[in-house]
Amino acid sequence: MKKYILKTDINLRALLILVSILVSTSSCEDFLEEKVVSLIGNEYIATAQGFQDASNAMYQGLRKFYGSELGMTMTEMGTDTYTNGADGSYKYYNQYTSQLDPRDNWITVLWTELYKSINTANAVIERGASITGIPAATVTLRVAEAKALRAHYYFVLTQFMGGVDLRLTETVGPETSITRASEEQMYTQIIKDLEEALKDLPSSSAQWGRYTKLAVENLLAKVHLTRAYRPFGSAADFTKAETYGKNVINNYGKKLLPDYGQLWTLGNDEHSEAIFSVQYSYDLLSSGGDGNRFHLYYLMEYDTQPGMSRVLEVGRPWKRLRPTNYTYNEVMVNRSVDSRYDKSFVKVFLATKAGTFNTSLDQSKPKITVKVGDTCIFMPGYEMDAAERATKPYQVFTPSMYQERHFGCLSKFLDPKRASINEEKGGRDFMVSRLADTYLMVAEALIKQNKNSDAVPFINAVRQRAAFPGKQNEMSITAAQVNMNLIYDERARELLGEMHRWFDLKRWGNLIERVKKYNLEGKDGIKDIHTYRPIPQIQIDRVEGGNASFPQNPGY
Amino acid sequence: MMQFPPSKFLLWVKYHLFTVDCDCKRFRKFFTRKNINQDNFLRFAIDCSILLTLISMNKILKLLMSALFWMGFISSLHAQSRQITGQVIAEDGIGLTGASITVKGTALGTVTDLDGNYSLNVPGDQVILVFSFIGFSPIEVAVGTQAIINVTLMEDVESLSEIVVTGYGTQKKSQLTGAISSIKAKDISEVTITNTQQALQGRVAGVDVIQQGSRPGAEPRVVIRGRRSFNASNDPLYVLDGIPLSTGIGDINPNDIESMEVLKDASSTAIYGSRGANGVVLITTKRGKGGKPTVWYNGSYGFSDVLKNIDMMNGEEFAEAKREAARASGKYTTDEALFEVNELESIKLGRSTDYVSGLLRKGYIMNQQLGFSGGTDKTNVYVSFNYFKDNGVVFNTDYNRNVVRFNLDHEVFKGLKIGMSSFLNFSVRNGESFNPLGGALRENPLGKPYNEDGTLNFLPTADGLRSNPFAESVDGAVLNKNRTTRAFAGIFAELSIIKNLKYRFNFGPDIRTSKTDNFRGTYTNERRLAPPTAWVDNATIFDYTVENILTYDKAFGRHNFNVTAVQSIQKDRFESSGVTVEGVPAETQLNTNLGNAAIINGVRSNLVEWAIASFMGRLNYGFDEKYLLTATIRADGSSRFGANTKWGYFPGMAVAWNISREPFLRDVSIIDNMKIRLSYGSIGNQAITPYQTQGLLGRTFYNWGNSTAYGYQPNTIGNPDLKWETSTTANLGLDASLFKGRISGTLEYYMVNTKDLLLSRQLPTSTGFGAVTTNVGRTRNQGFEGTISTINVDNKRNFKWSTDLTFFTNKEEIVELYNGKVDDVGNSWFIGQPLSVFFELKKAGIWQTNEADVAKSYGYVPGEIKIQDVNEDGKINSTDRVIHGSGVPDFSGGITNRIQWGNFDLSAFVFARIGQTIRSNFHLSNNTLFGRYNNIDVDYWTPANPTNEFPRPNQNQEFPKNNGSVSLFDGSFLKVRNINLGYNFDARTAGKLKMSSLRIYSSIQQPFLFSSFVSKYKGVDPETDISQTLDGGGNPSTYTVSFGVSARF
Repeated sequence: MKKYILKTDINLRALLILVSILVSTSSCEDFLEEKVVSLIGNEYIATAQGFQDASNAMYQGLRKFYGSELGMTMTEMGTDTYTNGADGSYKYYNQYTSQLDPRDNWITVLWTELYKSINTANAVIERGASITGIPAATVTLRVAEAKALRAHYYFVLTQFMGGVDLRLTETVGPETSITRASEEQMYTQIIKDLEEALKDLPSSSAQWGRYTKLAVENLLAKVHLTRAYRPFGSAADFTKAETYGKNVINNYGKKLLPDYGQLWTLGNDEHSEAIFSVQYSYDLLSSGGDGNRFHLYYLMEYDTQPGMSRVLEVGRPWKRLRPTNYTYNEVMVNRSVDSRYDKSFVKVFLATKAGTFNTSLDQSKPKITVKVGDTCIFMPGYEMDAAERATKPYQVFTPSMYQERHFGCLSKFLDPKRASINEEKGGRDFMVSRLADTYLMVAEALIKQNKNSDAVPFINAVRQRAAFPGKQNEMSITAAQVNMNLIYDERARELLGEMHRWFDLKRWGNLIERVKKYNLEGKDGIKDIHTYRPIPQIQIDRVEGGNASFPQNPGY
Repeated sequence: MMQFPPSKFLLWVKYHLFTVDCDCKRFRKFFTRKNINQDNFLRFAIDCSILLTLISMNKILKLLMSALFWMGFISSLHAQSRQITGQVIAEDGIGLTGASITVKGTALGTVTDLDGNYSLNVPGDQVILVFSFIGFSPIEVAVGTQAIINVTLMEDVESLSEIVVTGYGTQKKSQLTGAISSIKAKDISEVTITNTQQALQGRVAGVDVIQQGSRPGAEPRVVIRGRRSFNASNDPLYVLDGIPLSTGIGDINPNDIESMEVLKDASSTAIYGSRGANGVVLITTKRGKGGKPTVWYNGSYGFSDVLKNIDMMNGEEFAEAKREAARASGKYTTDEALFEVNELESIKLGRSTDYVSGLLRKGYIMNQQLGFSGGTDKTNVYVSFNYFKDNGVVFNTDYNRNVVRFNLDHEVFKGLKIGMSSFLNFSVRNGESFNPLGGALRENPLGKPYNEDGTLNFLPTADGLRSNPFAESVDGAVLNKNRTTRAFAGIFAELSIIKNLKYRFNFGPDIRTSKTDNFRGTYTNERRLAPPTAWVDNATIFDYTVENILTYDKAFGRHNFNVTAVQSIQKDRFESSGVTVEGVPAETQLNTNLGNAAIINGVRSNLVEWAIASFMGRLNYGFDEKYLLTATIRADGSSRFGANTKWGYFPGMAVAWNISREPFLRDVSIIDNMKIRLSYGSIGNQAITPYQTQGLLGRTFYNWGNSTAYGYQPNTIGNPDLKWETSTTANLGLDASLFKGRISGTLEYYMVNTKDLLLSRQLPTSTGFGAVTTNVGRTRNQGFEGTISTINVDNKRNFKWSTDLTFFTNKEEIVELYNGKVDDVGNSWFIGQPLSVFFELKKAGIWQTNEADVAKSYGYVPGEIKIQDVNEDGKINSTDRVIHGSGVPDFSGGITNRIQWGNFDLSAFVFARIGQTIRSNFHLSNNTLFGRYNNIDVDYWTPANPTNEFPRPNQNQEFPKNNGSVSLFDGSFLKVRNINLGYNFDARTAGKLKMSSLRIYSSIQQPFLFSSFVSKYKGVDPETDISQTLDGGGNPSTYTVSFGVSARF
C-alpha cells in the first residue's frame, strides 16, 4: 500500500511538471496575435470586392441629407414658403434665434456624415489605380461616380457654409492641421470633378440610383447657375448652365410626366422625369436605420380631431412644417386652372371612428356625426363663411383657422406603404433632381442673359403640364410676363417642399428679404449672417490652432 | 432636511408591514376595481392572507423583541448575589489599570482600579467571569465557590501577527511593505449589504464606491485612488481565490467572503502588472475547516421606499406654466384657446394625476443564506446557498440572485494538495433597460388617465407623442428581462517539490451566458398603437486563466527570504447574437416565437477575443523583521497592442522599516507598533477595447432600385503603434498603533505619474473620423489618505465605543498633451485641470425686465438665461465658455461609530463627498419648460417673479436656450449610509436552542441624505457615476429598513 502511494506520488509529480512545461512553452506570439474575425479591416478596400463595396458605401451620405429631418430642417425651414409647425426641437432654424449656433446638432451631423462619405469617395478614387481582379472599365466607372459624388457633397457643404476643408485624399492618420479653402476654390474643384466624371460615365445605368452622365450634366447646370451669382462667378456660368440644362432636356430621352400627380404616385419612383434620386427601400433589414422620413414633417395633427385617429393611410403627424401665407395666397393661386394645389395638398380626411363627436376647430356646428370612411375634415384651402360651413356634415378647416397644429398638409411625400403606422423609415425614393427643375433652371439662366423670350417655352412646358385638362392655354405665359419674380413663384409652385427652397433663396440673394417679408416667425430673427450656416464648433475646436486656422463664419 | 423623522418610525414600520408584500399592481387593480366579485375573489383572499401573515409576523417580532429585553433582567433577579475580589496583572507582574471584568451573558461588570484590584457582586456560583484588556487575550474563569480570583493576562500576539493575503501569497501584516487594506468576514457580516462592492464602502481609505442609482441589482462602481486614464477603464482588477476575473463580481455572494484585500500602491499591485493599474481587489472565500461541522443560516428581510418624492408639477402648477409658456411667445388669449378638452376638464374638476407615484410601490429586499462547513483531516468542504431578491420601488423592476458555492480542499498525500473554489450563479433582472418612470415624469398631469367606465384611457391627452404611462404596467405590455448564468470553477494543485519549494498550478475557467428578452406591446408609448415589437439577445463569455507558480521560502538566522515566480495566460472570448422583429401576431406570444412576426427588423452577431500572457518574479527579504524589502518585475504581453509593442515590462520596489522594533523605541510604552513604508514602481494599463490597432470598416446600407447595395466604408483609424500606458507610483506610508491599540491607523501619501496615456483623441470630423485611440499625454494624481481607528471607551461595565475614520483626497491633473503643455479645447482637456471638466457657458442669472435693452443687444429677451459675456465682446458665443469644475471630489471620507454594550451592538456609517460638480440629465430631460411635458417644479422666471434660478417657460422651445448652463450643480453630499443594531444571544441561550451562536439584527440603509442638489434644486440623488452623468430616467433614491437573523449550529 505504502509503495503504491509512493508510486502515485512520483507519477503525479512528473505529470504536474510536464503540464507546467507544456503550458509555459506554448508559443506566446501566436497566443497574443489579434485576429479580426467579425469585423473587416481597412485593407479590404484594396481587394476587388472591397473596392465595389466601398463604391456602394460612398452613396450613404446622400441618405443622411435627402429625405431626413436634417435635410428638411436645413432647406425648408426659415424660407418664404414654409414656417415652423407646433413640434420639433429645431424651430430656431425657422426663427433664426441665437440658438442656431455652431454647437447645433444638424450642422454637426451634416458635416460629419458628408465627410465620412467624402473620405470613402477619396479612397475609391485613390485606390482605383491599383485594383486588380475587375475590368478596368468598371474601375474607371466607379472612380467617375466617386468624383461626381464628391462634387455633390462639397456642393451641399459649400452652399451652406462657404469654403470648407477641401480634402481630396483618403485620411490615413490622425490629421489636425487643417485649413479652410476659399469658396471659389470649392467651386473650381467641384466643376473639375464633375467634368472629369462626365467623360467616363454612361448615359444611364442598369442600376437605378447610380450617378450617370445625365445626373452629372444636371448637377453641372446647377453648380454653374449657382456660381454665376457669386462674386467670383461670371456671365459665362449662365451660358454653361443653359448648355448643360438643355443637354439634359434634349439628349437623354427624358420627358416631363403628363400629369403632375403622377410624380407622387407610390411605387412610381423610376419614372421618366426623375434625373437623380436617393434610394430608399421598404426592406427594414437593409435600411441601416435610414429612411425617407419626409412623410412625417408636413402633416398636421389630424389624429386627435373628432372622428379621427392615427392611421397608416394618412400617416404620423410630426407637424414640423406649415405653409406660409405666401404659399397659400401668392403661390398656390389660380386653382381652377393650375392643378398643383390639388395635387400637392391633402384636402379631405376620412373618418376612422363612427359616432357623434363635439366639433373642435370648425365651430359652425356643435357636433358632427360620421361613419367610418365619411368625409370628416375638409380643407378647401379658401375661406368659407360659417353659414356655408354649417351646412356640411363634417368639419371644414379654412386658412384663417390654421395655426401651428393645424394647417395645409403637403401630400407629396405621404407613405402608406410603410411597415406600420409608427414606422418612421419610409421607402419612397427621394428625388434630388427632376426635369421640371431643369426646365426652370434653363429659364432662369436665359432670363439672366436677358433672353426672356427664349425662356418662355421652358417655363410654359412646366406650367402647361400642371394645367387641368383643357386649361393648358390659360396656363401659358408670354415673354412680357417673364421676369425673376415669376421664377421665384414658379419654382415655389412646382417644387414646393422638395428641398430646393433655401438653396434657391440663397442663390438669388434674397433669403433675408423674403423671410422678413413672408415668414412671420422668422422675420424678427433673421440677419445678414444667416446666408451662411455656422461651421461646427467641434471642427474648429479640434483643429490645431482653432479659430485662427479654421475661422468661423462671420457673426457666429 | 430630515427625510425620515424618528417620531414617525414606528408608524412607518407598522404601515409597511401591512402593505409591503402585496405587489403594487395587484393592489391597484384591486382597489380600482372597487367591488369584489367571483373573478377577483381568489385574489382578494390571497391578499387578505398575506396581510394576516404580515400582521402575525409583526406580532411575533414584537414579542421576540420584548422577550429579549426582559431575559437578561429576569435572569439577574433570580440568582443569589455574592462578592468576588481579586487582582488582574500582566505577565511582568504589574497590575493592569482599567481591565474589565464582566459576568458572561449579562450586563454586570466592573473595571480594575489603579493597582489592578477589583470587586464584583455575582449572581450565584454558576457564572463565568470574563477578564479582558485591550492588547491582551481575554480569559474566562468559572467562579464556582471561589471568593478571590487573581488573573494574569497574556499579551495578545495574535492581533499583531494578523495575516494578510497578498498577490500570490500571504504575509504577516507587520511584514507588509506595500499599501494594502484588508476587510474580514466579520466586517462584512455585521452590516446588511447586498453586493460585494458595498462591503468596501467607507471601510477602506482611498477607495471610492459609487452607487449607480437604486435600480435593483445595480452594482456600485469601485474606483481606487482616483482616475488615471481618460479612456481606459478605471475599474480595479478583481481576483477571486487567485483567479483574475474578466467580468463583474456582482455574482458573488458577499457572505461567502472570508477576506477582501485592496492593493493600492504600485509595489503591491506589481505582481498583477498591467492588470493592476487601477488597483486590485483580492477576494478570498471561506473554506471548510476540519473538526466539528458547522451549519449556518443568515436571513434578512427589508422594506424599501423612496427617500424623497420627485417633485414634479401638479395639474395646477403645470397649467400655469403652460399659460406662461404661451404668454412668453405672445400667444396666450384664453384658457379655452390654449388647453384641449381633457385639460380644461381637469382644470375645472381640479383633477391632477401623479403618474410617477402611480408607478411606485413599496419595495423589499430578501436575503436567505444557508451554509455548511466541515471536513476530515484530509478533506474539507464548504458549501453555501444564497437566494437574494430585490423588488424595486419602481413597478416592473426586480432582481434575484441564486448562488451556490462549493469549495473543496483535499490532501492527496503529504505534499500534494488539490482543491477547487467554485460558484454557480443564476440571476434574473427585470426592468434593466426599460423604466416606465421616464414616461411618467414627462406625462401631462392634466390628462384623463381613466375612461368613465374605469378602464385605462390610452391617450390621456391629445399630445401626439405621449400615451398613458399606466398602460405600460399592465400585465404583458412590456417585457424586459435579463437572465444570466455563470459558472466559475477555480481548480488548483499545490505540490511540495523539495523542502521550502512549492509549486502551484491554477486553472480558472469562467463561463457566463446571458439572455435578454424584450417585448413592447401595442399599448405602450414606444409603439403607440403600432404592432408589437420583440427582440432577443444572447451573449456568451468564455474566459480562462492558467497559472504556474513557484515559491521558495527560506529563513536562516535573522534573514527571511521568499521568492515567487509566476507564469500565466488568460484568454477571453465574447460572442453575441440577436434578432429584432416587428408585428408579433398575438401579444401573448411575447418574444417566444420571433419567426411568426411580420417583419424582421434587425439581425446581429459579434465576436471579440483578447489574450494576455505574463511572466513575473518577486523577492521578499526581511532582516530581523525590522528591515523589509520587496522587489518585483513583471512582463506582460497583450493582444490588444500593435505587433511591435505587445510586451511591456514593469518593475516595482518597496522598503519598509519596523521602527518600533528598534531598541530606542522598544521602551517607549505608548507605541505598540510603528512602521514606515516607501514604494516605487511602474505598472501598465491595457484596458482599451480590442481591435484599436487596426483600421476597421463599417457596414453601409443603400439600394439600387429595389435591390440591396450593402457596402463598407472606413469607420475607424487604426493605430498600429498603440502601446502600454504606464503609471509610475511613489507611495509613502505610515502604520502605527498607539496606547495599547487605543489609536491605530495608516496614513499614505502617493503620487502617480501616468505617461503614454491611452486616449481617445477627438479628431476634426472633416477627416472622416471622429476619434482615434493614441498614446499621448501625461497625467498626475496625488493624494493623501488615511484610516484612523480609535477605541474611545472600553472596559466600563461591558461598554465599548470605537470609531473608524477614513478620509481621502486626490488631486487629478493633466500635465501634458500631444502638443506639449497646450490645452485641447475640442476635447475639453486643459493643462492643470482634471481629466474631464465641464466646459460650458456660464449662467449669470436670468435677464430681468429692466435689462431688456442690454438683453436685446445680445439677442435675448427678459426671462431667458443670462450668459456671462466672459470676454466682454458684446456677443455670447463659444468663446465665452468657462471651466465649471469636474466630477472629481475635493474630499471624501467616512466615519463609522461602533458601540457595544453587553450583547447589543450598534454601528452607524456616515459618508460624505465634497466639491464635485455634476451634470444632471434629470434636469436636462425634465426641466424643458415649454408647457408640453410635465416639468420639475422649479422656480421659473415670470414678469411677476423675477427669480434668477430658472428661465421663463416658452412654448416656442423644446428646451430652454443654453439649458446646459442650468443643468450643472454642486454635487456635494453627506449620506448616512447605514445604521445597524444587533443583539448576540449569549452562549447559554443559544445552546438551549441547539445553536452555537445566534444573532438578530436590524438596519436602515441610507436613511438620510443632505445635499443642496436635492433640497434646493429638486434633484433625485447627487451620487453619480464618474462619467459625470446622472441618469435622467433613473430610479429615485431609496432607503431600506431590514431585519435579520444569523445563526450557527
